[in-house]
Amino acid sequence: MSESAKVVPIRRSRREGSRETERLAEQVRVLEDQLRRLEAERPASDREGLPVALARLFQEGLRGVRWETLARAWAEAYFAWHSQEVDEFGFDREFTETLRPLFEFLYTVWWRVEASGLEHVAGQGAGLIVANHSGVLPYDGLMVNLAVRHEHPARRDCRMLALDMFALLPFLAPLLAKSGAVRASQENGERLLRRGELVGVFPEGVKGVGKHFKQRYKLARFGRGGFVRLALRTGAPVIPCAVVGAEEIHPVLLKANWIGRPLGLPYFPITPTFPLLGPLGLVPLPTMWSLDFADPVRMDGHGPEAAEDPILVNRLSEQIRDTIQKMIDGRLARRRSIWFG
Amino acid sequence: MGRIAITGSGSFLGGRLLRRLVEARGGDGVVAVDLAPPPAALESRHRRVDLTEPASDEALLRVFREERVDTLAHFAFFTNPRRDTGYAHELESIGTLSLMAAAAAAGVKRVILRSFTALYGARGQNPNFLTEEHPLQAGRSLGWLQDKLEAEQHAASFARRYPEMSVTVLRFAPLFGPEARTFYTRVFDKRVVPVLMGFDPLLQLLHPDDATSAALRAMEAPVKGAFNIVPKAPIPLQAALHLAEKLPVPVPHPIAYAACELLWAAGLTEAPAGFLDYVRYLCVADGARAERELGFRPRYSSREALLAYLRYRHPEPAGAREATA
Repeated sequence: MSESAKVVPIRRSRREGSRETERLAEQVRVLEDQLRRLEAERPASDREGLPVALARLFQEGLRGVRWETLARAWAEAYFAWHSQEVDEFGFDREFTETLRPLFEFLYTVWWRVEASGLEHVAGQGAGLIVANHSGVLPYDGLMVNLAVRHEHPARRDCRMLALDMFALLPFLAPLLAKSGAVRASQENGERLLRRGELVGVFPEGVKGVGKHFKQRYKLARFGRGGFVRLALRTGAPVIPCAVVGAEEIHPVLLKANWIGRPLGLPYFPITPTFPLLGPLGLVPLPTMWSLDFADPVRMDGHGPEAAEDPILVNRLSEQIRDTIQKMIDGRLARRRSIWFG
Repeated sequence: MGRIAITGSGSFLGGRLLRRLVEARGGDGVVAVDLAPPPAALESRHRRVDLTEPASDEALLRVFREERVDTLAHFAFFTNPRRDTGYAHELESIGTLSLMAAAAAAGVKRVILRSFTALYGARGQNPNFLTEEHPLQAGRSLGWLQDKLEAEQHAASFARRYPEMSVTVLRFAPLFGPEARTFYTRVFDKRVVPVLMGFDPLLQLLHPDDATSAALRAMEAPVKGAFNIVPKAPIPLQAALHLAEKLPVPVPHPIAYAACELLWAAGLTEAPAGFLDYVRYLCVADGARAERELGFRPRYSSREALLAYLRYRHPEPAGAREATA
């Protein structure tokens, strides 16, 4: 006791200091008692956490590690960044919050995304954001999501409709589901829009995301107009969005289908860095991005039955594609550098 | 008012339904049709009929007439995959056929058929929510579910031919909760659980209390057709395993299917390889129709059902309980 008394501030007398230490020591004793009581109240099986497991491993080698301890430590680690209940599509907000610093780094530092026209996204109610797709991996979806989440005053979540190739790919599939993306299908899209959610879709699909470098910023065919049918059926406005910058992050020089097909991939991209630099080649290039949102295209003029009119669907689809192409062209004309905008 | 007959009253769900019906309308109003008699304490009526016998339809017809049955609940199905597929076929497919024939001949007004959401099949192309209109395409895992699928088809064909008989199919999500012991709850009894590497689908785990109350509602509601009976919210597989404090061991799927088939043939796993689809892809059913037309709202989410099961399996150790008290 007197040993520790030496560390109290000098202005107090020694006696006063030792009284203070005794008081603190008493408090420590009370707390320790409480801790012991709490420990005793926990079920016996619950007492060993990660530190104990590590200590055992250290002292007794592998023989000292018990399955239960290992499983508990793993479960603790898992729930540290996952919530126990997810939304009905598997969206895990806690998981997304954990990864947010990484995403924000990509958004503000790596690609320095500049979002404009967000006022065209309504503060509530259903809406369908339609954008050009590129970049080999669906980073553009992530950035559109972040723009709406962080720069829109209503802080909305934009649920991305993901391509089958991503939504079914091992490792990427659960990652997408947890961060709020949903496999692209009419049923899923309709369900989300009817719930009044903001939905993002990339109608170019595989043709867009796996675009050859020389085809950059030339919009591919917009699927078969599925997104227009979705909007017509639910009456949700379509918000065209032009993503500039994403098309250069992984410049695809070659598509080696003979590697991709046995792996179950629709294509296997060869970029200047991948697979040459191995995992390092997966680092996207730090281009500068801009996201432009345009005036919503209202579908209220046509009834839901218009979704069955293929000519009208295609016309509306082409009209929206044209809008996005013009926005991209405008941006490109003003852009002086890929890296600095 | 006629009696209610329950086939498969010895099954987990059938037995629970029997108990609830006896509580509601007394032992004389309910007939248990099964090989084994129901617990004597229930004092329900019991008729022994073997659905796998060739002349079971006539025996059933006699039972239905003598007991003046007007409502039939068919719960005689296996929950676990079986190696003797012949017997499962006789009971589930052919048994349902004779049962429907007897019910139609006896003028039974109402038939409730127990079915499974697994019949939709777990497929990559599935929408996140399977409605009752979605085709039943269990695909690769059909071998194990074939007979249950045929049972539904027999019921549907009788429903078409006898419009005065109202047939309701209840597709239950996998049951999880106190006393439920099936091949997938047994997965949660092991310490180490193999999972498919890189896949984490959502699961629906239905609390048995919800299942029973849905069946009771279906008996009273004047509805026809199929209904999904599902829990409030799904749970990701990984979250479920970690809640139960299991050690998930990831296995690459190309190896897993072959290994599972081999182990199944050797009698070392609970389910054939087709089951792996259900831990790889989504098979989540939409319960909106049951809520709309049956007024059935589940009380438990998948997570709560799992926790209820875990509490039942691992009650707190006696020492711990004393310390708390």
